[in-house]
Amino acid sequence: MAMQPHSKKRVCYYYDSDIGNYYYGQGHPMKPHRIRMTHNLLLNYGLYRKMEIYRPHKATADEMTKFHSDDYIRFLRSIRPDNMSEYNKQMQRFNVGEDCPVFDGLYEFCQLSAGGSVAAAVKLNKQASEICINWGGGLHHAKKSEASGFCYVNDIVLGILELLKYHQRVLYIDIDVHHGDGVEEAFYTTDRVMTVSFHKYGEYFPGTGDLRDIGAGKGKYYAVNIPLRDGMDDESYESIFVPIISKVMETFQPSAVVLQCGADSLTGDRLGCFNLTVRGHGRCVELVKRFGLPFLLVGGGGYTIRNVSRCWTYETSVALGVEIANELPYNDYFEYFGPDFKLHISPSNMSNQNTTEYLDKIKNRLFENLRMLPHAPGVQVQAIPEDAVNDESEDEDKIDKDERLPQSEKDKRITGDGELSDSEDEGEGGRRDNRSYRAPQRKRPRLDKDNNAKDDVKPEDNKEDVKNVSNLEEPKKEIPPNA
Amino acid sequence: MAANMYRVGDCVYFETSSTSPYQIRRIEELNKTASGNVEAKVMCFYRRRDLPNPLIQLADKHQMAQSEDSPVAMKLKKICLKTPIGEEQAAQAVLDPAIVAMEEESSELPGTDGLAPKQRHQAKHRELFLSRHVETLPATHIRGKCSVTLLNETESLLSYLNKDDAFFYCLVFDPSQKTLLADKGEIRVGSRYQTEVTNLLKEGEEDARNSEELETLVWTPEHGLTDRQIDQFLVVSRSVGTFARALDCSSSVKQPSLHMSAAAASRDITLFHAMDTLHKSGYSIETALSSLVPASGPVLCRDEMEEWSASEANLFEEALDKYGKDFVDIRQDFLPWKTLKNLVEYYYMWKTTDRYVQQKRVKAVEAESKLKQVYIPNYNKPNPALITNNNAGTNGKGTVLNGGTNGTAAIAPTVCASCQVTNSSQWYTWGPQHLQYRLCGTCWQYWKKYGGLKTAGVFGESEGEACRGARTGEEGALSASHRPHRCTVLNCAKEFKLRAHLARHVATAHGGCEGARPVMKTRAAFFLRASPFTRLARRLVRALRRPRHHARSPFSPINLHQVKHEFTVAMAGVGGADMRAMGAVAGLAPGSGKVRVRGAVGAVAVRLATAHGSAAPRAQEWLLLTPKDRMPVPEHVAFPKPPKAPDGSLMYERVLSRAEIEARRGETPTLAPVTQALKRRAYDDINGLDRGVSSASAAPPPAKRPNKHPAPMQRPSREQYAAMCARAQATGQPLPAHVFAHVNGKPTSLSGRGGRRHVISWMDAPDDLYYRATETAKAARRALSCGELRRGARAPWRAMRPPAGPPVLPALKGTGNAGANTGTGSAPLQLVILD
Repeated sequence: MAMQPHSKKRVCYYYDSDIGNYYYGQGHPMKPHRIRMTHNLLLNYGLYRKMEIYRPHKATADEMTKFHSDDYIRFLRSIRPDNMSEYNKQMQRFNVGEDCPVFDGLYEFCQLSAGGSVAAAVKLNKQASEICINWGGGLHHAKKSEASGFCYVNDIVLGILELLKYHQRVLYIDIDVHHGDGVEEAFYTTDRVMTVSFHKYGEYFPGTGDLRDIGAGKGKYYAVNIPLRDGMDDESYESIFVPIISKVMETFQPSAVVLQCGADSLTGDRLGCFNLTVRGHGRCVELVKRFGLPFLLVGGGGYTIRNVSRCWTYETSVALGVEIANELPYNDYFEYFGPDFKLHISPSNMSNQNTTEYLDKIKNRLFENLRMLPHAPGVQVQAIPEDAVNDESEDEDKIDKDERLPQSEKDKRITGDGELSDSEDEGEGGRRDNRSYRAPQRKRPRLDKDNNAKDDVKPEDNKEDVKNVSNLEEPKKEIPPNA
Repeated sequence: MAANMYRVGDCVYFETSSTSPYQIRRIEELNKTASGNVEAKVMCFYRRRDLPNPLIQLADKHQMAQSEDSPVAMKLKKICLKTPIGEEQAAQAVLDPAIVAMEEESSELPGTDGLAPKQRHQAKHRELFLSRHVETLPATHIRGKCSVTLLNETESLLSYLNKDDAFFYCLVFDPSQKTLLADKGEIRVGSRYQTEVTNLLKEGEEDARNSEELETLVWTPEHGLTDRQIDQFLVVSRSVGTFARALDCSSSVKQPSLHMSAAAASRDITLFHAMDTLHKSGYSIETALSSLVPASGPVLCRDEMEEWSASEANLFEEALDKYGKDFVDIRQDFLPWKTLKNLVEYYYMWKTTDRYVQQKRVKAVEAESKLKQVYIPNYNKPNPALITNNNAGTNGKGTVLNGGTNGTAAIAPTVCASCQVTNSSQWYTWGPQHLQYRLCGTCWQYWKKYGGLKTAGVFGESEGEACRGARTGEEGALSASHRPHRCTVLNCAKEFKLRAHLARHVATAHGGCEGARPVMKTRAAFFLRASPFTRLARRLVRALRRPRHHARSPFSPINLHQVKHEFTVAMAGVGGADMRAMGAVAGLAPGSGKVRVRGAVGAVAVRLATAHGSAAPRAQEWLLLTPKDRMPVPEHVAFPKPPKAPDGSLMYERVLSRAEIEARRGETPTLAPVTQALKRRAYDDINGLDRGVSSASAAPPPAKRPNKHPAPMQRPSREQYAAMCARAQATGQPLPAHVFAHVNGKPTSLSGRGGRRHVISWMDAPDDLYYRATETAKAARRALSCGELRRGARAPWRAMRPPAGPPVLPALKGTGNAGANTGTGSAPLQLVILD
């Protein structure tokens, strides 16, 4: 099933040509080189020329200490392989040494990774882009003052903190095979960021991510963990990803999404134990993209580097809404992709220990938790991609008849209703502010005009657009009632 | 084929001993040894039975804590699991009042709700404990695959029971420290861990962020160029690169042919440079073209691959060989003029070359010893525990259970110690040798895989376990004691750790007082005639030392093999004379030993009183009996007389009220009431009677308590049974043999050596009877000597003729909750002991 071009979006891509040359050390599975391999594939696939390409700045210590503790960042800045012996105590304290070795250019690597995600978040805030990609980011294990799982500086947290300036609620989704513990911990007690992590659980790094970990304090029910077992395949993954994410979108109503695309959930990963193909992995990107929210894509794990670069290349094409050939183009690292030299990979015959029964039970439990979220009753859920009209029919075809419809599908079937939109405009619901969900549409004259032009033949959609246009007259910045 | 392919990461059964259950291991590595054998490096999972007992209790509590979200549970979790706990601490934790309080509430695994006790028992076999313990085993000992998953609390244990070879685990066991740990990380809460959440910008507030400072645009898609134009420009830049290489001296040495130059010029670095050039020249092809060929000559972009000389490449390969991929060392010792980045970049490009592929092949040969998978064929050799027909001719199909009715087949029947089937294509010896347990094929497989028997507390499991423990020392001694107390009330079967808790449960939940025993229709009646050897065994064998206990718990099995074994040991070398002497001591042989006649208790008392020189007992007022006319008369009779039949007789025999008894006491005993009183009475006749009444002297014994949990009971109708009994009485024979020999249900395990066992089918079992002794009967009984009484009890079919005129019938007491019945007059007595 080839990905149909879904929609053309403005995509910004962050890359520094140095990033591939950082080296964690002999035998270490984390290889920043995979980011360069992805980059070369993007160039030779011709995707490069379809995106805005940015070289990110190097994040400053000031930026990093928005989340991380001062002494931790100071430590990262000063430690080098040649002065390691002076820092024995601190290395222990900050968990630097074994999994997270000290290597040459460690701090620069962190700066580039964090710089990309922060710049991408700012880009989204300024609405200069709809989708931002930073494959050098996604280091989701890093803690406030502790390195963990090959991650030193948590670029995701820094990026989300940036997004929170403009977005009342930000959704974080993590499809790495490992639990996104660093991000979850950072936002464990806040209700403004919901973290949703799909991961292998049980006798697996980092050990967190139990179904029962749901957040604390104000953040209770704002951490969602989907513990999975070995052998997740595309079908099972989608069967749990779609309903959970739809429900989360419906109840949490974020105005921006960050997706960590750790590629160690792919089949044949050196450290992973799932059985996803590039297509199944990319499907998650596609599904999240459909919600049409400001979207930040970051990298993450991924330790069979040929598959990582395949995956991220494909996901870039999904973000761009461009179809690419299965035949890999020639590039500097072409030999890595032998013997078949294809973009897509096939799953292995490993058994899937996640039974439908197990997944259903998990799903139901999570639905119960999500029901606990404060939820404005009667508020229509509105995950309408602005260009939903383009692909109505084909999306419907793709959806399994027995499955619960994704919200976007449901919404397509709702004709514009004057009464509903009236009440929306009044904005009396505490949970609704102007920035949630449709905000980007309202604020983008260019796109709205495009829509109007396209929608001439679709009278039922005109109301929406008329409304959007009328919203343009409203002040650009509004403070939500609960801000 | 695929089933016998074992991969790294698979969970498998390992057989390390033919008699013990399989070990469950996960393959971490498969290595080929020099001798060509495959060794598996495996990680161990432990079964419940492998764990020391305190830890099992701890594990159960952890389960409980997980199933509830109460504060107590949370506290418990902290106590038990936050830190590794040694056994001593574990014991302390057990004593924690909070835990004890919780234990009282329930002690079930989560998700066991709605599980039958048998399933709950089996679920325990499915629980494993992960360990970090790694060992190496020969791969040929693999006996199949299984699956081990972390239990998720949304799952019911039933889902594991329904699948073969499916196990779950919750906790991690450290065999060296003897500790249990939850395999769970923790999200920490506090300002040291969470971030400060940025506030939403206020109205009019400007974000200080400036994108220009954060990023540099390298390419934009809004360039007005078509794809074709870009492609064309890329071709041009490659051509320029080829030409540049032709001009460049060092390059022309390295790439002597045009093709090679063109290939070098097509590397990604040239393309990236071309794109950058386009961007820098504002996407004007013209400007970009001219910047490709500046005055200094055509632009030449070379990456590390091209930059490096052949000698450098050789040095690098040599260094790689020596140091591996330690680029810091390589740089220091071999290529100090390169930067680390140069080395890394070169390394990843070098990997695409033929040189690397060759090296990889060499490595692949080396790595051949590390296997990804191994094929182990099914293991077909018979287990030594398998009983072949040669060494156990009596086993196998067609063994007659219970010796039949003709009494010829006195050999020990083969019954599966677990499921009690008698028919199986294969039999295995199980447990300690001398106990001679047998397991059927299925139960043997179950035992090997799951390390337990299918049913809890079945015939001798605990004994087997205990013996195993005795042999293996410390390990097993701890496991046997872990057997919960189970409520025996029908449809309840809750388990408790302590007997006291069970008692409390019975008192509160079932309203019963002490000693709740199942109150239900007995299954089948049989009679046991003990041979002299059986009687001797009763005295000699340790396992039978508690006759009273066995009488009270007729359901608890007695391990016959053990009895036999002990008896043979005790009797070894004992001659006939000794045996007779022993029999005498045991009071077995009739007439042996003198029976001392002491007279009636009253006479003894009087004798003692006079001996002490006190006044005649008559003198004491309080010793005098209350005259009959002054006896208290009850104000009302709780149970009025039953309705009368048309002929004026009572519908059933009345229970005498106290007054009537008193009245009757005065009368001279005659035969007539005796015969009337000796009439058999059906069990349910008294079932409706209140116990308050039955406490009167002549009231029936409280043989049965009304069943609070009535289950559908099957029993022959009154008419059927009456007919049966009438026929039996008319012929003067016990109930027909076919009634007894017809076995419908499972056999009971109690049986005497050589004794015939009559088992009445469940359907055909007669109703329980009770015998109400009248004054006359009691008097007659008193006239019998103790020995005669006992003999009468043992041989109830024998008529007894007491010295005094009328035939007096001994009242017989059955063991356990059995009733006793007697025949009338000279009709043979029949004792039916109901189990």
